[in-house]
Amino acid sequence: MKTGIGVFFAVVMTLGGSWFGFVVAPTIQLGSAKQTSVLVTGDIWPRQRTGEATLGLQVYRANGCAACHTEQIRQEGVSFEVVLTGVKKNPEAVSNLVSTLKLCDLNKEEADAAATALGDAGGKTETQISATGADIKRYNAVRRSVAADYLYDAPVQLGTLRVGPDLANVGARLADANWQLAHLYAPGIVKNSAMPSFKFLFEIRKSGSTPSAGALNLPKEFAPADGYEVVPKAEAKQLVAYLLSLRADAPLYEAPFTPATTKP
Amino acid sequence: MSDEYKSCSLPSSAEPTATRSAVPMWIIVVTLVLVFVGFVAFDRHSGWFDAKVYAPYGSASQIESSQPVSETGKLLAVGKQKYEMFCGSCHGTDGAGKLGVAPPLAGSEFVVTKGFHRLTLIPLEGLMGPIKVKGQDWNLNMAAMGAALPDYDLAAVMTYIRKSWGNAASEVTADDIKIIRAEIGNAPKQLQGDKLMGVVE
Repeated sequence: MKTGIGVFFAVVMTLGGSWFGFVVAPTIQLGSAKQTSVLVTGDIWPRQRTGEATLGLQVYRANGCAACHTEQIRQEGVSFEVVLTGVKKNPEAVSNLVSTLKLCDLNKEEADAAATALGDAGGKTETQISATGADIKRYNAVRRSVAADYLYDAPVQLGTLRVGPDLANVGARLADANWQLAHLYAPGIVKNSAMPSFKFLFEIRKSGSTPSAGALNLPKEFAPADGYEVVPKAEAKQLVAYLLSLRADAPLYEAPFTPATTKP
Repeated sequence: MSDEYKSCSLPSSAEPTATRSAVPMWIIVVTLVLVFVGFVAFDRHSGWFDAKVYAPYGSASQIESSQPVSETGKLLAVGKQKYEMFCGSCHGTDGAGKLGVAPPLAGSEFVVTKGFHRLTLIPLEGLMGPIKVKGQDWNLNMAAMGAALPDYDLAAVMTYIRKSWGNAASEVTADDIKIIRAEIGNAPKQLQGDKLMGVVE
């Protein structure tokens, strides 16, 4: 083989290039990622999961949830809104301006221009930022997913396919633990759901004179026979604890938005 | 037989060998165009691989200029920090106060008020003597903890205690503090607890 050295270098280049691109570059970029702080409040982000939720990640992984669910919200754009918070002088001129200017759905330049115009007229303004995009609308989200959100995930369960909905913000979107448990046992409580039942995470047992503390409160069509009750096993509780720990709802430097609490 | 066998074997000249010939020009051109387009795309979308830059933002300066500027939010953030530094050790970081040290601020009738004049006088002048907070009697001595703070920081602390732990009163600005400071002048005198309720709210 006369071209042996050429083939050797081609293989080294190919493998080395992908190693550099997939391992070295991300490590340089994100390898030293630490907890960051939430805008305005200065709280830390993300919070370390509870022990139960950390175990729940492994239940999520073992049951292949990532085959049908993603954990990544995309964002297509940002929209700015200029809000009048007060009037320093010329209330009439300011109110005239407010009725003529476009103050919602602006881009950055338009928002700056509108804020300057109102400021010059004598008003006090505040510019609010919100995320836009199909995912944001569909999942009632407030911002995209960023690397910091996955700091405590090992392994990260990004997912590639959405047979079911995205779960990156499910802890904020569907925060009721009892609903989550009932839904795992009987996904049919959501109309037209394609999700299989995870009955094996629950125990169906004879109920005593009064139902157990943790027994599910199911609609009639999904409830077991009379005299029986459905009780979640430890895995089901861990999985729900993990699901409720999935949140992407804090404003961060890399994905800023104006949270509802600081709106005047 | 052997002739037939020979005729089936390949002549030695059929052995493939690599030759040196120039790469076609069009491949070089297409490759260069693709590399150029790729670099333009990186330029526009990567933010030079900055870990803090995500779509839809294209660069670090763009995301820096898009940070929300909220006056109330800024006041609350500064206020929280200053409160925990100067006030929290006695009044508690949760605003619940400490028995025998300082009365609560959460839900206090001196904090959740329409005006903030009387409330602001307490850190500016200090307070001594018996007062009643949330139905409980307190008789302690507070120094003028806020007198040395800049207007903006004191306004931030006032805003923070008026808007935290379930309190929902109006915010206080640095200009408001300036006016109250001017009214006190250079001769602050410690407030008396029993006369505190008589001070203008």
